[in-house]
Amino acid sequence: MVEGYWCLVLHNHLPFVKHPEYEDFLEEDWFYEAITETYIPIISILEGLLNDNVDFRITMSLTPPLCNMMEDKLLQDRYYKKLSKLIELAEKEVWRLQGQEPFFSTAKMYEYKFKNVMQVYERYNRNLLNAYKNLLNTAKVEIITCNATHGFLPLMSSDRIRKAQIKTAVKDYEIKFGRKPKGIWLAECAYSYGIDKILKECGLQYFFVEAHGILYGEPRPKYGVFAPVYTPNGVAVFARDIETAHQVWSADVGYPGDPDYREFYRDVGYDLEYEYIKPYLHIDGIRRNIGIKYYRVTGRVGLDKKEPYVPQWALNKAAQHAGNFMFNREHQIRYLKNIFDREPIVVSMYDAELFGHWWFEGPDFINFLFRKIHYDQNIFKAILPTEYLDKYPKNQILQPTSSSWGDKGYFEVWLNGCNDWIYKHLHKCEELMCQAVDVYHQDVLSGDEFKKRVLNQLTRELFLAQSSDWAFIMTTQTMVEYAHRRTKEHISNFLRLFYQLKENRVDTNFLSWLEFKNSIFKDIDYTVFI
Amino acid sequence: MDNKELTTIPASGTVSSKVERKVEFIQQITDLPQSYADTKIFLLPRDPWWCFAYWEVEEKTMQEIRNLYGENLQYFIRVYDVTNIDNFDGNNANKYFDIHINLDAKNWYINLPETNRSWCVDLGVKNSNGEFVTIVRSNIVIMPRFGVSLITDAQWAVLQREFERLLELSGVSMIGKGSFDIAKLMKERWEEIMAISQLPKFISSAAVPHQQFISSGFISSFAKKEQVEKKEFYLKADTELIVYGETMPDAKLYIGDREFKLTSDGKFSLRMYLSDGEKFIPIKAVSSDGTMQKEIIFVVQRKTDYKE
Repeated sequence: MVEGYWCLVLHNHLPFVKHPEYEDFLEEDWFYEAITETYIPIISILEGLLNDNVDFRITMSLTPPLCNMMEDKLLQDRYYKKLSKLIELAEKEVWRLQGQEPFFSTAKMYEYKFKNVMQVYERYNRNLLNAYKNLLNTAKVEIITCNATHGFLPLMSSDRIRKAQIKTAVKDYEIKFGRKPKGIWLAECAYSYGIDKILKECGLQYFFVEAHGILYGEPRPKYGVFAPVYTPNGVAVFARDIETAHQVWSADVGYPGDPDYREFYRDVGYDLEYEYIKPYLHIDGIRRNIGIKYYRVTGRVGLDKKEPYVPQWALNKAAQHAGNFMFNREHQIRYLKNIFDREPIVVSMYDAELFGHWWFEGPDFINFLFRKIHYDQNIFKAILPTEYLDKYPKNQILQPTSSSWGDKGYFEVWLNGCNDWIYKHLHKCEELMCQAVDVYHQDVLSGDEFKKRVLNQLTRELFLAQSSDWAFIMTTQTMVEYAHRRTKEHISNFLRLFYQLKENRVDTNFLSWLEFKNSIFKDIDYTVFI
Repeated sequence: MDNKELTTIPASGTVSSKVERKVEFIQQITDLPQSYADTKIFLLPRDPWWCFAYWEVEEKTMQEIRNLYGENLQYFIRVYDVTNIDNFDGNNANKYFDIHINLDAKNWYINLPETNRSWCVDLGVKNSNGEFVTIVRSNIVIMPRFGVSLITDAQWAVLQREFERLLELSGVSMIGKGSFDIAKLMKERWEEIMAISQLPKFISSAAVPHQQFISSGFISSFAKKEQVEKKEFYLKADTELIVYGETMPDAKLYIGDREFKLTSDGKFSLRMYLSDGEKFIPIKAVSSDGTMQKEIIFVVQRKTDYKE
């Protein structure tokens, strides 16, 4: 009999970035890099665990924009080309570095990894959703959804709008995975009063909040964050464990900063001779990260003082850290079991892109961790949220507080001097969207297919404008120009199309162009606003 | 705004100047409307202590107000505590306070005197008698809670001392102490690295002139530069080997025992480090149907002498 449970949740998300109008587009790299460094490495690791009959559980949110990008033919083909180039470079590097350890071993590691990525990619016919569908069928992996375009729900103007985001997500999930989603990841873990009612109406059983979502809830939570609670509307809520978050994220004690791990900021895109590296840069020829890096974190030293990366050392360290993480969970869970009258659940939530993209050895860490949990101890087991709810269907009812997992725990990251100007426009579009649906839905019912197309595209433009990513980027001050551009672009597309509809002069070419370019949600249905 | 303009492509974020297809609708991103001709005030919660209000008053309404109350008006936001009030009508608030505002600011962050309450605001003016006249009323906002609830649940009761211990275990002291997001963490690490790097200009702008990178190896030039600066006189040299050529575009090319990808016009180029000693480089091309093949073998020797 185990003494408690551990629930790992990885949030997989990227905003919908697709630019068919350019042959080469910088921001699409977010998606391509994440496939190479995070999504496929994690898929491979989970498949390895299954092959070796290791008992494990993992919950992953795959947001609708991400699912839609994974399914997109243009992006699939572009990624294939990108990865082929990367493999070509890795092969050249193996040649160049012959006889020069430890660089040679590292070069061979990249070649091996990239070729494995290609093999997985081809095996699933370039559509990673096929891989996730397989994993979902094993019952060891749970895949949950996220509100439509990762919109920041608490800052939307009404529940009608929030509900449209959530209904669209549920429908998209059903189309892609062939069953209803059991749980949802609210974008940025952003919850405000009333959202649970919408979730209930959409058939969702559970969601996640930041620790104080429950700790500051009313009445007091008997088990703190170590048991789910039900909202007044009967939806289960799991709260984040801060200790495990801190263990990975902390600048001082967090694992990813270990001297043996790979240094993110020393990249061949900057280090190697220009003519040699140029074919692998974007067509503007500006030096940027390419994804092959030969140095390790080393310590708090300048980039010029970084020492060479040694793959075996890094792997050893990942195993050691996995052991440490497990040891700490054993202690935490045993302690909690002693003071509780039931088995506690510790919920660790992370952005998936942490594992692989930023913390290069992160996927290895997960691999070692699940194997160690399976073979080396019997204090706790990994579990899925629904499995825990099946064991403990009776839980305290409380009203979680409005909160998010952003800096300071509330909404400031998405509402401050850098981005507050967007809400006036977003709210106006939300209002006009409802107006358009109320006025023209009858025409569609009478068979007006063209108006249906217009209403559907209005829905896409509104949803894309609502992505929380734009407000977030404006706050973090990286790639701000792109975030401004996307916000303005979708709002102006929306307004232009809305007034064309209202004045009965819709430009068909414009509509077709938008459908082609902003093609998220092939089967979108504007009636989510009714 | 809806002309089918064939416009220049916005530069932001793009790295392409070539467009594959004729694109009519990459419209220049115009500024969004300044106003929507509404009279409206909207309230959003930011955190337990602050909310944000934005507003707009249409010209017609402004004119009416000026006609009624005169030209030089003082504008205010009246903030009502409407906690637990079902039908707020402007007169039944628990309490309220006024903030003098500049109407043209169009938005305001409001600091609230109490946590865990619900609020509503009116945008308005004060007439010559100092009486507040509402122009428009906002939505009601229930603020995010701060702090642990005082209310306990009989069925799920917990002793105060145990609960305090549990809060500690749940990490209550860490709440709001910083976020765990990648973008922030990476930015901070980058700033730290740049602060301690010898050559802070390196990489800090995306476009690094490649002349700096005369080193062809994996040891980037700035590390060497630093070393050499300490010496009075120096000579550093190294060598690399470039193998290149072309064959039929559909042929298979092998260098050593590895297959090597050809460019679409059948060219290939491989650059490698040349260490001391002798190196055999067999290059083999095999026709696509496998019936013909050609081979060229290079034997390259490098010997390095150092002389004072």
